[in-house]
Order: sequence, then structure tokens, then C-alpha cells
Amino acid sequence: MALDIKKFLPRFTGEARDHLSRLTSGLTPLASGAALDGETLNELFRAAHTIKGSSRMLKLTSIADTAHQLEEVLGALREGRIQTDATLGALLVRGLDALSALVETVEASGGALPPADAELCAALAAAALGEAVSSADAPAPAQSTPTPASAPNPVPSSPPATAQTTAAPPAESAAPTRLRTPDSVRVRMDKLDELIKLMGEVVSNQAKLRQKLFEARTLDASLSALAALSLDAEREPLTTQASAVHQFTLALRDLVQEQERLTTELNDRALVMRLLPLAIVFDPIAPLARELGRELGKDVQCAISGGEIELDRQLIDHLSDALVHLLRNAIDHGLETPAERLAAGKPRLGRIRLSARQDGNGLLIELEDDGRGLDRERILAKALQKGLIDPARVATLDEDAVAELIFQPGFSTSAIITDISGRGVGLDVVKRAIVENLRGALSISTRPDAGTRFGLRLPISLAVMRVLLFEAGGRAFALTAHQIAELIRLPPEQAIQIGDRPAMVLRNEFLPLVRLTDLPSLHAVAPAESGRGWLVVVIQAAQTKLGLIVDRLLDERDMVIKPLPAHLRASGLVAGMVVTGDNALVSVLQASALLELARRLRGETPIVIAERSAIRHTIGGQHLLVVDDSLNTREIEREILEAHGYRVTLAEDGLDGWQKALGGQFDAVITDVDMPGLDGFSLVSRLRGHEHYRSTPIVMVTSRQKPEDKQRGVQVGADAYIVKGDFNQSSLVDTLSNLLG
Amino acid sequence: MHILVVDDDPLVGEMTLAMLEEAGHQVQLAEHGLDALERLSEDASIELVVSDLHMPLLNGLELFQELRERGLQQPFVLLTGDDPAPLLAREPGLSACLAKDAALEQRLSELLAQF
Repeated sequence: MALDIKKFLPRFTGEARDHLSRLTSGLTPLASGAALDGETLNELFRAAHTIKGSSRMLKLTSIADTAHQLEEVLGALREGRIQTDATLGALLVRGLDALSALVETVEASGGALPPADAELCAALAAAALGEAVSSADAPAPAQSTPTPASAPNPVPSSPPATAQTTAAPPAESAAPTRLRTPDSVRVRMDKLDELIKLMGEVVSNQAKLRQKLFEARTLDASLSALAALSLDAEREPLTTQASAVHQFTLALRDLVQEQERLTTELNDRALVMRLLPLAIVFDPIAPLARELGRELGKDVQCAISGGEIELDRQLIDHLSDALVHLLRNAIDHGLETPAERLAAGKPRLGRIRLSARQDGNGLLIELEDDGRGLDRERILAKALQKGLIDPARVATLDEDAVAELIFQPGFSTSAIITDISGRGVGLDVVKRAIVENLRGALSISTRPDAGTRFGLRLPISLAVMRVLLFEAGGRAFALTAHQIAELIRLPPEQAIQIGDRPAMVLRNEFLPLVRLTDLPSLHAVAPAESGRGWLVVVIQAAQTKLGLIVDRLLDERDMVIKPLPAHLRASGLVAGMVVTGDNALVSVLQASALLELARRLRGETPIVIAERSAIRHTIGGQHLLVVDDSLNTREIEREILEAHGYRVTLAEDGLDGWQKALGGQFDAVITDVDMPGLDGFSLVSRLRGHEHYRSTPIVMVTSRQKPEDKQRGVQVGADAYIVKGDFNQSSLVDTLSNLLG
Repeated sequence: MHILVVDDDPLVGEMTLAMLEEAGHQVQLAEHGLDALERLSEDASIELVVSDLHMPLLNGLELFQELRERGLQQPFVLLTGDDPAPLLAREPGLSACLAKDAALEQRLSELLAQF
């Protein structure tokens, strides 16, 4: 019931205008007595019908009624029950005008329209029945002559007076006679995407053009040199030729430069078309925050800023889920209850601040709460328990490094069923979505008792990204601009050794240095030492920085990053590929993976020991019971689970499941809800009542997605609730590995 | 519930979709009867069809008949801009026939509660 139908009003207006203009151009010939063919009539009938349909749903009764009568007349015409004549044509045009006038008031009035013109509707209804249209119903054409008709009479003294003195037209005709020029066109999203994709290709091609220009200039130079060296006899024609080539090259240069300017501008304009204000995702956040607060017994106030900043529609689509997840996390885990807040001397009202601002080449969105901050001890304990960190390093981790742990797969400190999607997965999913789908970065900083701040760094658009190309060990590599903090030329004598590792001092901070070529898995050869010092690319991911020593910089430009095929994504080291001017493929490196590699190279234990895959390996052999009455579902689940190393036993329904559960000891149970005999809810509550299954993880997989059903799942004791609609391999496996891990 | 909405008018289609999503269903939109037929033949997870009557090529009733001929038995709700009663009389196999008007949301949700 809660659907706010009003938000469809602007779209209705736009579409109704389109239909009306089709009707107007179609019906105009009628007024002069011409007949219409069946095809046209059919089309006009449909236009009227469509207006009727959508206006009814929007409770725009007067439009629906008028359109309905219009449709009746057109239907009668189509079926040949009545014939056209000029009078009928005039009546129809009058109907259209009335409809247009109503449509134009829809948005301003918020959908509260005056009643339909009863006399007009009656006349149309009569016409549809073939009754003669009385001439009184036809408008007198002279009356509607617009006021501006008097404009050709130049009366410079007082134009307003002229308007007033033009005798007859009553007030009503003054307003609607203005021409309406639509200031927007609706374009389907996929058409726009196609255009922007093409635009990206054009930008890439521009680089190739630039490369050709470079080659042309080299050829030009060598030809001139050749001419200068040649024998006297040949010099004359050769010099002429060389100078002609030189002129040509210069002209080509100008052309390429001009083309480059235009391409860049075209690209900028094309991208702007797909930008939408952040308000689209920001606006619903405040009410949602209050609602979540009520659900969780916390008073929440949410301040939002930066909604006017525009962002690529593609990013906006993905952003919403991530923000809601973070918001829920902040309210659920960050903010304290009113009582706790008062006891801690804080205002009763918990504050959430959501803000966005331009930041370098991208956008920084922050979600901040003034809650208790992250509990360092609890996180460390959990991380140790799950084997995520090396106990020896605990003491060296600072607040933010500890906070980063909550993004690790498998980390979740609270009852996971409260997750938005009920999938039982934690912040690692948000992080993955931001890094993979949005090509952004997620960071966190926290202060005990003062709050937690999540920072989302996003590119403005996904279509093209600013990329730095550089060479190391004879190979080209690339990094996206947002991962690079700065570029430094470092004289060799300023490099220092900390322990046995190279480093430098950058604004009073130690910055570890690593030769890109020393990193394993890049397969590059170390170059000869150059005397000019080191070229250092300072990269940053989350809170950590690293200086990469490279040989030389090649280029910096906006490029289309092509995704890697799925089978190459596993390493995480390469984010994608770019194509350079001379058609070479260059790997775009991922800063976070480089940092991890460097850490390993320095012989440090990585902060995180267990990678995702490692967790999966250790679960081998755990025995699961899958209960589902659908053979298909059972088999699919079995396949997925066995592929991840679990042993699986199947049961065909609730009762079968119950008996099998009693017959053996299972590490986890996965059950459907709707089954004949004993359903999933009953099965779970029975299992919970049995001493062997009191704390065994139970996952419900079902097509029931109502909150009540989820609630019921929680009540009977399920640990996670997965809706079949968003069911995919990883949600089930992630959930299980969380529960069993 | 997984529902397929069929409407050639994108505005009405999206409003219907919004209503159903608001009620917690998982909804996809087909632009016309043929599109719907294709999706239904490929995606067995669709549990219910809500279709407009007047559509080019394959109208709502024809879509319904075609589905039954192909042995697809999902409940089928027909929406119409006109009086629904005669349609239901003509095709009693329909789960329901509802008028497209302001009360549609209310009636749809009452109806779906029965499934």
C-alpha cells in the first residue's frame, strides 16, 4: 500500500504529451473533412487508450474520462459505425485540447485535477453513438485566435495596454496559447550505454592516431636528413619532396590536435548525459535510517549533504545496496541504545552523517556515526579465533589496521540473520561490490566512543578512467589515477635502509620502497641502474602507502579499461587491460594486491593469513544434510556444495530430513520451507529441540521472501535465510563457510 | 513470489511492477505477449503472470490461451482498461480479471495474498 504513485506523474506528463501530439497530427486532417485509413485510426485509438490506462492508475479521473470518450469515438470510427465529417473533426480536436490542458496541470497540481468537462464528454459520447453533434458544441474558431496576433502592429508606447485593449479573448485563452517546447527527450538507458561505449572506443582510437602522427614525424625527420646528405644532383628534387612531406606532417599534426580536442569534448559531453544527482540514492537514506532506528530501538538523526553532486548512472545503481548495507551496519553495530548513550554522556539522539564531495579525480562519499566505535578487542579476538591474523602481530596493528579486518571474508561479529538480504554475509561483500563493480575503494577509520567513519572513494564514471602508464623492466604497466598518491624523483643518496629494506622519508613518514621488477608474478627483468635517481610512484590503498620504483613514465590519459576474462581474475593483481596507441595490451595493476605482494617480499607475514580459497580448503569433508522436495533444487545444491568440498546427504521432504538427521550427525542442515508433510519451519524447530542439533548451523533456502517469513525463520532457530530469487552459488557457499568457519 | 508483468505501455508496466515490488515480490517486466511467452518458456521459476489485455501482436487473452496450449499452468491475472466482468465470463480459466484503476494496488495485493 505504501507505493507512492505520485512519483510517476512527471513521466505520465511526458508520455501523455507524446501521445497527444500523435493524436493531434493524426486528427488534424479530420477537421478539414478528410477521412482516415484504418491503420491510422487504430494507432490513434491505441494512443487514447494508453492515456486512459495510465491516468486511471494514477487517479487522474478527469483525464481518464475524457480520454475514454475520445477512445469511444475513435473506436466507432474504426469499426465504421460512424462517419467522419468536419463537425466531428472539430469536436475531436476540442477533446484533445481539453486533454492537453488537463495534462499540463498534472505536475503543478500534484495530480489533483478539476473534474472533466461534462458537456464535452457528453458530446463525445453522443458522437460515438452516431448522434448528430449539435453545432453549439463546436468551438467558434475565431475566438481562440491568440493575442500575439496583434503583435505586427507596432505600438512601441505601451505594449501591455495593447494586450488589454484587444477586445474579446477572455482570460482563459491567454495562458494556453503559448507554444510548448519540450526541454527533454527520453532515451532508453541501453541506447545511451551503447553511445558511451562507442565513445570510449573513439577515445582509444585517438591514441592510435596520435601514434601514427608520431611515426609520420619520424619519417619526415629521416627524409629531411636523407635530403641533406644526398649528392648534389639528387638534392634538388629530394629537398622539394622532403619539404612537401614536412608541410603534410605539420598539417596532419594540426588536424590530429584539433581532432583530439573535439574528441575529448565530445566524450565529456557524452558522459554528462549519463550523470544523475546522488540525491536519487541519498534522499531515501534519512527516512530509512529513522525506520531502521525504530526497528532496533535507537533514536537516529541523519544529516545528508552533497546530494547535488552528479555521478554516472551505472555507479548509482550499484551504490544504493552498498550504502544501505553500511547504514544498517552503522545503526545496528555503531550506534548505542539511548540508555547507553545517556550513560556515556552523549546526546540521546544518535547521529549519522552521509556526505559526498569531489575529491581529486573522483568522488568521496562518507558515512559516519557518532557511536561507540569499533571494539578493538572483540575484533582481534574474533580474527584470532577465525585464524585470520598472526597472533605475533596483534600488538603492532594500529586502530585502522584492526578496523580493516572487518572487511575480511568470513568476518562477522553478530547474528548474521539481521543482514539486509538475509544472506548471512558481511562487509566483505560490500567491499567487493565497491572494488569490483564500482572500481572504487572502501576505507574505515574509527575512534573508541566517538564513532566510525566509512569512506567510499569512487570514480565519477566507469566509461573511461584516468590511467598512468609506466615502464619497469622493459614492460609497460598501468595504474588508475585514484590509486596513485604522487610521483617523486628520488636522488639515490636520499634513499635509506631500514633494517635491510630500502625506504625513504616522505614528509616525516617512512615510506617503504620496492622495485616493481622485484615483485614476484610480474615476470619483468630488472634494468641497469641509471644515474638520475629513482622514479617513485607512490601508491595507496586504504591507509597504507608504498613507493614503487619504476624505470620511466610513458603517458597519462583517459582510457577504457577492459575487464579481464573470468579465468584470469583470480590473482587480483591485474584489474584489467588497456589498449595503447600502438595496439599493445597493458595490464592495469591493483594497488592493494601490490601492497600485499610487497609485504610478502619483505618477509612480513601478511596481516591476513587466510585467503578466501584457503578457508574453503579447510572445510573439506564437513557433512551436510540438504532437504528439499524438488529433485532439481536438491541436485543443484548438491553439485554446488560438493564442488566446494562438502559431503552431502539428500532428503526428499521434511520427514525424510528429520529421520536422516536422527540417523547421522551433520555439521550443517540446509532446508527448503514449502514441503509436503513436515515443512521447513517445523523441521527446524524440531531439530532445535534435539540435543544434537541445538547449535548446528541451519540455513533455510526458500522462495518465500516476505519479512514475516524471514522473521519466522529466525524464531524457529535458523541461522540464515536465503531467498531462492537471489540464490546463487556464492551466497549459499559464503553463508555456509561463515557459519561453519 | 516471482511474477511476470506484461504490458506494452512502459509507464503502466512499471507502475504495476512497482506495486508488486512494494508488496515484496520479485518482478520482471515483458513488453508484449511474445516477449512474455519467450520468458515463460525459458524461465520456469516464474510463478504468476499479470498481463495487460490490449497489446499489439499477441493480446493478453491470446497469451493466456497460448500458455495453456503449451502446458504452462501458472496462475494468470488479466488487467484491462474496460469492464473486467465479461472477460472473466469468456475465459473462466483466468485466475482473476482486474480493472486498471486506482484501486488496482489494493485488489492485486488482496488477490496475491490468496496464492
